[in-house]
Amino acid sequence: MKLGKKLLLAAVAGATMLTTAACGNKSSNSSDSKIPTKISKKTTIVFWHGMTGVQQTTLQKLTKEFEKKNPNITVKLQNQGAYNDLQAKINSTLQSPNNLPTITQAYPGWLWNAAKNKMLTDMTPYINNKSIGWGSAAASDIKTELLDGAKINDTQYGIPFSKSIETLTYNKDLLDKYGVKVPTTMDELKTASETIYKKSKGKVVGAGFDSLANYYVLGMKNAGVDFTDKIDFAGSTSKSVLNYYADGMKKGYFRIAGSDHYLSGPFANEKVAMYIGTSAGEGFVKMGVGKKFTYGVAPRPGKYNMSQGTDIYMFNKSTAMQKAAAFLYIKFLTSKASQLTWANSTGYVPVVKSAMTDASYTKSDLKTPAIVNEAMKYTYSVPVTKNSNAAYGNLNAILQNVFTAAQKGQNVDAQIKAGKAKFDAAWKQ
Amino acid sequence: MKTNQKKAWLFLAPTIILSAVFSIWPIFRALTMSFQGGPLINLTFNGISNYQYIFSDPEFWTAMKNTIIYSIFAVPVALMISVMLSWFMYSKLKNSSFFETTFFMPYVTSTVAIGIVFRYIFNGDYGMLNFILRFLHLPAPSWIDDPSMSLITLIIFGVWTSLAFDIVILMGALRNIDPSFYEIADMYGATSREQFWRITIPQLVPTLAFLLTMNIIGAFKIYTQVYALFNGQAGVGNSASTAVFYIYNKFQIAGTPGVAMAATVVLFLVIMFTTFLQRKLMKKVGDY
Repeated sequence: MKLGKKLLLAAVAGATMLTTAACGNKSSNSSDSKIPTKISKKTTIVFWHGMTGVQQTTLQKLTKEFEKKNPNITVKLQNQGAYNDLQAKINSTLQSPNNLPTITQAYPGWLWNAAKNKMLTDMTPYINNKSIGWGSAAASDIKTELLDGAKINDTQYGIPFSKSIETLTYNKDLLDKYGVKVPTTMDELKTASETIYKKSKGKVVGAGFDSLANYYVLGMKNAGVDFTDKIDFAGSTSKSVLNYYADGMKKGYFRIAGSDHYLSGPFANEKVAMYIGTSAGEGFVKMGVGKKFTYGVAPRPGKYNMSQGTDIYMFNKSTAMQKAAAFLYIKFLTSKASQLTWANSTGYVPVVKSAMTDASYTKSDLKTPAIVNEAMKYTYSVPVTKNSNAAYGNLNAILQNVFTAAQKGQNVDAQIKAGKAKFDAAWKQ
Repeated sequence: MKTNQKKAWLFLAPTIILSAVFSIWPIFRALTMSFQGGPLINLTFNGISNYQYIFSDPEFWTAMKNTIIYSIFAVPVALMISVMLSWFMYSKLKNSSFFETTFFMPYVTSTVAIGIVFRYIFNGDYGMLNFILRFLHLPAPSWIDDPSMSLITLIIFGVWTSLAFDIVILMGALRNIDPSFYEIADMYGATSREQFWRITIPQLVPTLAFLLTMNIIGAFKIYTQVYALFNGQAGVGNSASTAVFYIYNKFQIAGTPGVAMAATVVLFLVIMFTTFLQRKLMKKVGDY
């Protein structure tokens, strides 16, 4: 035992020394504000991301294309796992900045503290630079509201990249079989789900929502309540939003993703006829469904839709050359051609305006593009305020408890009350 | 009075330095951080508010409750099963080394990989376990997706994963028992049951005490099993949240390292107290 412990210690010590040595490689001064106009020597940049499956392969494909065009730049793509893991990795690496990547995918809320401590690079000079950037924000063709969404404390730290909305994905064959029309309102969704569940004699669940947090936030928004710490979780508006889903769980026509995380799996196995989830899931749905049945995509029922997804942020610690190279890469990723490739294979919504109307997008193999304009009439995103990210993050678990209690015929009100305590605690930390 | 040799310090230095840096300093660092607020890169002193926060946070109590329930059930059950299995292997089986290897296999397999397999076995819709239960006309609960079942599922999984290590250690201990004890017992006509309770168990007490201490400490620090079994979250509705899960989430996801460290200190005290109680108890029980 003692020997084992010593060996372990030795190993840890060795690893630490290696890391410290690696940290010792001094990166050049970050105050070097001059932006190189051209990448004159071999430069390697590191990009942390949380993309999997078809998203990752498309990103790799685009990156290869970029490297071919820019032989002096090497982009190291580093997958950090799911978004949660990526967030955790960034959080813990912030204290040893030299180990940070050049750029990372992130939600602005994750980097609140990093921005406050001046660890991020302001993108504005790069955007306005004529040779590395576009010359101006307007010339970038990126949607203004998305650029605004990538600001932290009014500074343009991020460039929008992988943006999505929520859509309703349905099994067309099943809907036809049970004589149900694609629902456009929440009331219709309820009736449609109930019909499917009854007619299939309980074999097929009507519908479910991937993100319960989004379900709640949009449910409240549709009822006229913004997502702030003023929300009374056990109030009447909140209760009616919760009970809509809880009733469905109780009667069996709604379900939640649970430990599967996403309903695309049960959907592909024809266990659930419709689900509301991110449009970026369409690549997975398409692959999972294959030729088993015809699927369709429709706008999310209800007025508001969620505008979500990550931006790309740059850390200050990199050299001027790395930063310029990284910005060229970002510019490439957000170009019309790249965004079209990206959107057409993943289901993400293009961030540039011109791509939205491009024929290759509107007539793509995926089904999201055809409905995207209609689906994005009214969008909402979780406000970046103190603890909003934490409260939003807690919602999933809270709602899971409420809904599973309903499913088992237990007291829903008691769970809502318990949920209120947790929800309020999340806002107060 | 004897004094320590000066040279001894020299030889001990590597160990002392390493354990000071990697074991002792982190404890003090955690303690100071538990009185600080703000993000990791900009910590400021904020008194006891982190402790106030965790004690009023229902999630913290759920996590502590789950951890304690898990330790109370999983550890003794695993130990009992291990004693039974290793005794059986030692006394009844011929090719015990083959079975020993088989039982040890899970220990060298990654918990995450085992967790994925168990997730399929436990799946409510198409899992193997429920298939068998339905076949036998027994109730087939939703092992993974029902919050009230999460902890039970976790305990079953925990018992299973800890068998490997326990059995190997116990087999070693069984082999170390002087065979003449049994020979004499046979001569005087003791039944095998008597031999088990009067010879084997007393001889195993030091090993059992060691395993109990290690396993309880391990159980208090359970994290990977939860992560693997419930696909990266602490069960549906955080129903299987454990102390370390809570700490990890507060530290990494919520970005409140102070709160996480306050919980760490509380957990540290709980583990220390439990271990202290155990040692007292074990000293009373026998020749440990």
